Amino acid sequence: MKFIKNHLMFILPLMAILLGIEFFLVFERTTDTYEKGLKDGYSMFVVTKEPMELSAFQALNEHISGTKLIKRENIVAEVTKGVSQSTSEEILAALPYFYNLGLDSYLHTSELEKIKKDLLSNENVKKVETFGNSHNSNYKLFSFIKFTLKIFIMFMAVVSLFLIIKQMEIWKYAHKERMQVMEIFGAPLMLRSGVLFKVALMDAIVATILVSALFLYIKFYWATQSGIDIMVQNQEVLFKISDIGLLLASAFLIVIFAVYSVVFSSKGVQE
Amino acid sequence: MSNVIHASHLTLSYGSGDKEIIKDASFTIKKGEFVFITGPSGSGKSTLLKSLYGQLQATEGSLVVGGHDLATIRKGKLQELRAHMGIIFQDYKLINEWTVAKNVVLPLMIAGYSTEIQDTQARRLLKHVKLSEHADKYPLELSGGEQQRVGVARALAKNPVVILADEPTGNLDDYSSNVIWDLMENACQQLETTVLVVTHKIPTIFSLPYRHFIIESKGVYEVH
Repeated sequence: MKFIKNHLMFILPLMAILLGIEFFLVFERTTDTYEKGLKDGYSMFVVTKEPMELSAFQALNEHISGTKLIKRENIVAEVTKGVSQSTSEEILAALPYFYNLGLDSYLHTSELEKIKKDLLSNENVKKVETFGNSHNSNYKLFSFIKFTLKIFIMFMAVVSLFLIIKQMEIWKYAHKERMQVMEIFGAPLMLRSGVLFKVALMDAIVATILVSALFLYIKFYWATQSGIDIMVQNQEVLFKISDIGLLLASAFLIVIFAVYSVVFSSKGVQE
Repeated sequence: MSNVIHASHLTLSYGSGDKEIIKDASFTIKKGEFVFITGPSGSGKSTLLKSLYGQLQATEGSLVVGGHDLATIRKGKLQELRAHMGIIFQDYKLINEWTVAKNVVLPLMIAGYSTEIQDTQARRLLKHVKLSEHADKYPLELSGGEQQRVGVARALAKNPVVILADEPTGNLDDYSSNVIWDLMENACQQLETTVLVVTHKIPTIFSLPYRHFIIESKGVYEVH
């Protein structure tokens, strides 16, 4: 019972940190996808006197990544029903050119305003429409959720670190005497800390396996069963095999830090 | 005979050097000598011993052990030097979660000897200190005298160049004390190990010639 308790007291905070790391990774990946969706779905509407190439738009602002010319013929066809051919041609000749501009990333309203200003600085551009209001509320909500989750993850990591420091004190108490005796008899650092390393590395592996198993369960079972759109759509990015390596490396780093802290604070002979 | 320990104008202090324990001590101890260091409680006997295994640095003067100046010795060399020492403590300092046999072979483990050699040596050493039947027990299952014999066996495990003993019989009955003195006398006589013992009282029955230092008023003086 004591054995299990001792291990759990390190495994649980370590798991909390690993969960935080994995949540962060998953959140970054899913929000990247969402952000891409928002970005792709967003475009600026521009009216020009003369036709303009993509390079000409990009020369005005570097965030412009694509242009789509709206066919004027379709517009004219809509408004000139029952009108003679010659009149239609005159209207077509008089019409300006309409473009949908794509952007390279999901930008803040102020950036959109800057793009608008840059575009209007060109005499050829007659009008720019940015759809600022709906964009702004989406952007603010998105940024707020992102910020809140990051704060929560950081808070979880800090609390877990405190728990690990507490566990390190228990380790120090439990292993200090042995390490000091070994030091007196000339044992090198690796030999002195060997037992502690074995225990801590085992805990790190267990914590990594548990966190990975949880996310694999979420990915392959819970996500599909939940019926939550964002989960189903982003099932692929919920957990990647490469995450196991990252989690294990993070756990090992924490273990190395914890064990060496205990070893170095246990130096010297106890009276 | 070569010098094993050489102290020259040695000063030892605690804190930031303001609490002097030993002041301006000079002495030399040669290979194979048996040395007693006596003195009243708090006179600095254990402090002097600690400095000999590099746990405490000299504030002034120099202390050379096994040819190494302990003021300038590198960490790795100090570990190497300690591996050639057998250290015995009044409170035994055994590792309670290890068996008696494992405690005894700690110096061999540190030196990287194979498990087979460790097992053979553990049997031989425990027979030597008359504790063969306790090999698989844990230290806390033994009496104080038996624990100290384990401590002595551990100190002898690697045929050390020098044995440093801090009040080795301080808490023991006469029988256990005599066994401990016999073991150290044998090591000194048969293996030419230098033995330095810090004690309150020199044993009344002691067959070997020995040197006696006394610590008094921060000084270390030889009694002739």
